[in-house]
Amino acid sequence: MCLENFSSQVVERHNKPEVEVRSSKELLLSTVVISRNEKERVLIEGSINSLRISISVKQADEIEKILCHKFMRFMMMRAENFIVLRRKAVADYDISFLITNVHTEQMYKHKLVDFIIHFMEEIDKEISEMKLAVNSRARISAEEFLKQF
Amino acid sequence: MILLEINNRIVEETLTLKFQNAMAGMKPDSVDITVADFDGVLYHMSNPSGDKTKIQVSIALKFYKDLQEHGADDLIQRVYGSHLTDPEPGYNISLLFDLENLPSNQEEVIKKVGLLKRNCFASVFEKYFDFQTQGTSGHKRAIIHYREDETMYVDAMKDRVTVIFSTVFKDDDDVIIGKVFMQEFKEGRRRYQQAPQVLFTHKEPPLELKNTDARVGDNIGYITFVLFPRHTSAEARDNTINLIHTLRNYLHYHIKCSKAYIHSRMRAKTSDFLKVLNRARPEQKTLEKKTFSGRTFKQR
Amino acid sequence: MAGRFPAVVIDNGTGYTKMGYAGNTEPQYILPSCIAVKETAGVGDQSIRRLGKGVEDLDFYIGDEALATSNYTIKWPIRHGIVEDWDLMERFWEQAIFKYLRAEPEDHYFLLTEPPLNTPENREYTAEIMFESFNVPGLYIAVQAVLALAASWTSRQVGDRTLTGTVIDSGDGVSHIVPVAEGYVIGSCIKHIPIAGRDITYFIQQLLREREVGIPPEQSLETAKAIKEKFSYVCPDIVKEFSKYDNDLEKWIKKYEGVNSITKQPFQVDVGYERFLGPEIFFHPEFANPDFTTPISETVDNVIQNCPIDVRRGLYKNIVLSGGSTMFRDFGRRMQRDLKRTVDARLKISEELSGGRLKPKPIEVQVITHQMQRYAVWFGGSMLASTPEFYQVCHTKADYDEHGPSICRHNPVFGAMT
Repeated sequence: MCLENFSSQVVERHNKPEVEVRSSKELLLSTVVISRNEKERVLIEGSINSLRISISVKQADEIEKILCHKFMRFMMMRAENFIVLRRKAVADYDISFLITNVHTEQMYKHKLVDFIIHFMEEIDKEISEMKLAVNSRARISAEEFLKQF
Repeated sequence: MILLEINNRIVEETLTLKFQNAMAGMKPDSVDITVADFDGVLYHMSNPSGDKTKIQVSIALKFYKDLQEHGADDLIQRVYGSHLTDPEPGYNISLLFDLENLPSNQEEVIKKVGLLKRNCFASVFEKYFDFQTQGTSGHKRAIIHYREDETMYVDAMKDRVTVIFSTVFKDDDDVIIGKVFMQEFKEGRRRYQQAPQVLFTHKEPPLELKNTDARVGDNIGYITFVLFPRHTSAEARDNTINLIHTLRNYLHYHIKCSKAYIHSRMRAKTSDFLKVLNRARPEQKTLEKKTFSGRTFKQR
Repeated sequence: MAGRFPAVVIDNGTGYTKMGYAGNTEPQYILPSCIAVKETAGVGDQSIRRLGKGVEDLDFYIGDEALATSNYTIKWPIRHGIVEDWDLMERFWEQAIFKYLRAEPEDHYFLLTEPPLNTPENREYTAEIMFESFNVPGLYIAVQAVLALAASWTSRQVGDRTLTGTVIDSGDGVSHIVPVAEGYVIGSCIKHIPIAGRDITYFIQQLLREREVGIPPEQSLETAKAIKEKFSYVCPDIVKEFSKYDNDLEKWIKKYEGVNSITKQPFQVDVGYERFLGPEIFFHPEFANPDFTTPISETVDNVIQNCPIDVRRGLYKNIVLSGGSTMFRDFGRRMQRDLKRTVDARLKISEELSGGRLKPKPIEVQVITHQMQRYAVWFGGSMLASTPEFYQVCHTKADYDEHGPSICRHNPVFGAMT
C-alpha cells in the first residue's frame, strides 16, 4: 500500500489510477494471486498510485452461487457508500476493491486492511448462513403446509 | 402470515359493504369493479344494465372449459343455485344479488361468493375423489391448463388420487430457490405421516406423464401429490382441496418471501461492512481541534 | 399476458396506502401505512436483531390489522412520503400483494408512486425489490403530483388535457404545493405548508374543549375529526360569516351526536363556528400556528411567481386539488377568489407603473375541483395504468435484467398527448 500521488504521463492534468488505465508498463507491479483452492482466491494488482484487490468467493453449490451473485450485486449497487469498492468486478472474480493514493492518504491504512480482511472472513460466513436460512425457511413452510392435511 | 387465504377479500368486503348499506336503507351506489386473483382469475362486480339495486359478480377463468369437462357447472349450480344467472359476455360464471331482496343468511352468502374461485377448482378434485372412492378406473386423466404455461393433471387409481402440478419459474434464481423448497416438501412428508406423499422432479415430467405433451425445460418443476383415501374421504375432502389448489401460489409466495428475507439480510450485512470501513476514516474535526490541555488550537 | 390482467396501482402515502387494480374508480383498499412486527429486546443493531433463524419475519400484520394487534411493535416505514425502512417496506408490499390484493405479481404490471423530490437511489431500491423479490413483469414509478394532475382530467374536455399545472396536495400530515410543467416537477419551487388535516382536527378539538363539556376527553379527538369531516366548509368572508351565524343561530348550528365508548351514554355537541373556523386556518394560519402566517393562497402565488416565466400562465390556469384535506366545500372557490385578487392587483400595479401605456392581458386563474380529490393520486394512477401507453413506458423485467436498477431512475412522462 505504498502508494503515491502520480500524474498521468499521457494527458496533462490527469491523475488516474494506473492499475486501471495501464498506460505504461513501468508503473505497474507484478500481480499476486493467493488461493486456497480453485474457487477461493484473491488477486492483488499493484501500481504506483493504486491497488486493486479482487476476491473470488467460495461457491459450493447452486444456491451459494446465486446468493453470492445477488449479494455482490447488491453491494456494488451501493458502491458510492463503500468508497473503495469497484462498481464492477474484475473478470473471473466476484468482487473488486480499488484503493488509490487518495484513499490511503485520507484513511488509516491499517484500518483499510482490517476492512478487507473482515470482509473476506464475513462473506463466507454470511453466505453459508443465508443458505441455511433459506433451507430452514423452506422446511418450515413445507411442514406448515403438510401439517394442514 | 404463513398460509395464504383462500377467499377473495375484495369481493367479500365490497359485498359486505353493499349489503350493509342496503340494510341501512341507504341509496345504493353504482358498482363497477374489476379485480384479479391468483391463477389469472378475474372478477367483475357491476350493476347489470345500470340497475343499481342489483349486483352482479362475474368470474372469468381462462381454463373454465377444462373445468367444465369435469362437472364444474354442476358444482356451481349446487353451491350457488338461485343466485346464478346467465354469464356476462367475457366471463364464465355470473351471480346476481338483489339488494332490495337480500337473503337472510348474508354472511354465509358473502363467504360463499368469496370462495367462488375455490369452488370452481373443487369440481375436478371432487370428481376424481369420487372415482377413487368408487374404485372405478380406466377413465381419462384430467388436464387443467390453470395458467398459460402451467398445467395440472389429476388422475385417480383404486387406492389413490395423483395430482401433478407443473410450475414455471420466471427467474433463473427462482429455479434454484424453488428447488430447495420442493426438496423440503419431499422431505417434510417424513415427519408428518398424515400428509400425502410428495414427489418432485425438476426439468422433466414424472414418469406418469411420460407420453403426454408435458413440457420439458430448465425452469420447469413438477410436483406430484399422491393422495390416499384418508385425504379424499368426505370429511377431509374440503380441506384437501383448499390446500392443494393454493399450492402453486403458496410455493411462489414463499420463494418471494425468502428473497425479501435475503434482501434484508444483505442490507444488514452491508451496513455492517460499511461500519467497519468507516472506522478506517479518521474523524478529522475532533482530532485536529483539541490540544493536550483541551484548548482549541488554530492552524494558521 | 400483460394485456389481460389489470395493472396493480399502489400509492404509498405517509399516513395511508391506497391500493387496487387499475381501471377501477376507487382504490380497493385504503390502509394505514403501518406494519406491526414482533420485536425482541436485546443488544445489537436493530436490523440484525430482526433477522431470526426461521420464518419469524412472516409474523407481521399491516394496516388496520396492525393497529388492532397487541404485543407487536407498530412501525411506520414511510416518513414524509419517503420510504425510510426498506426491510419493512418490502414486507409491507409482500402482504399487500399476496394477502390483500391477491395478485400473482408475476402476472401484473405495477404502478407505484413517489413524492416529489424523491431520490433516484430510492427509485433504484424500489425497482430492486419489485423486480428481484417479486418478479414483476413491468414497473412504472410515477410522481404523485403528476398523477393528481391526470386525475383532474375527468372533469374536463379531452382537448384540455395537460400535464402543466399547480397541485395543492394536502393530506393528514403535511401539505405541498407542487408546480408541474409538461409532466416534470419544478423541483426548486416546491413549497411545504405545515398545515394539514391533523392541524385542523387539533384546532377544532381545542375550540370544542373551551366550550363543550359533554365530550368525553378520551374521545375528543375522534369527535373533532368527525365534526371536521361532516360539517366543515370554507366561508367566503369570516366576518360576514360570524354575523350570519349571530343573526340566525338556529339555522346554522348543527348537532353532532356521539356515543361515549365506555359508558355507552349518548352525548350531544353543538357545532357552531367550528364549521367554518376549522378549514379557515388554511387561509389564516396564525389561528393555529403562531410561527407561520402566510395564507395558502399567498403561498401558491409565491410558488408560481418563482417558476420560469413562460409556464406561469399555465400554472395559474390549472390549479388542481388533491388529498383529503382539500375536500371542504367551497375550498376551491375561496382559493380561486383569493388568488385572482392577488394576481389582478399585481397586474394593476404594473399597468400603473407603465403609466397606462401597457395593458397586460388578464391572467386566467382556475382552481379545479373534482370528484376524485380524496384519492386523486391513486385515481390518476389507475387511469394511466389502464391505457395501452402505460405498457409501453413501463420498465420491463427484461430491461431490468439487461441494464440493472438504474433504468428506473428515469420514468418517461406519458399521457399528455391523448
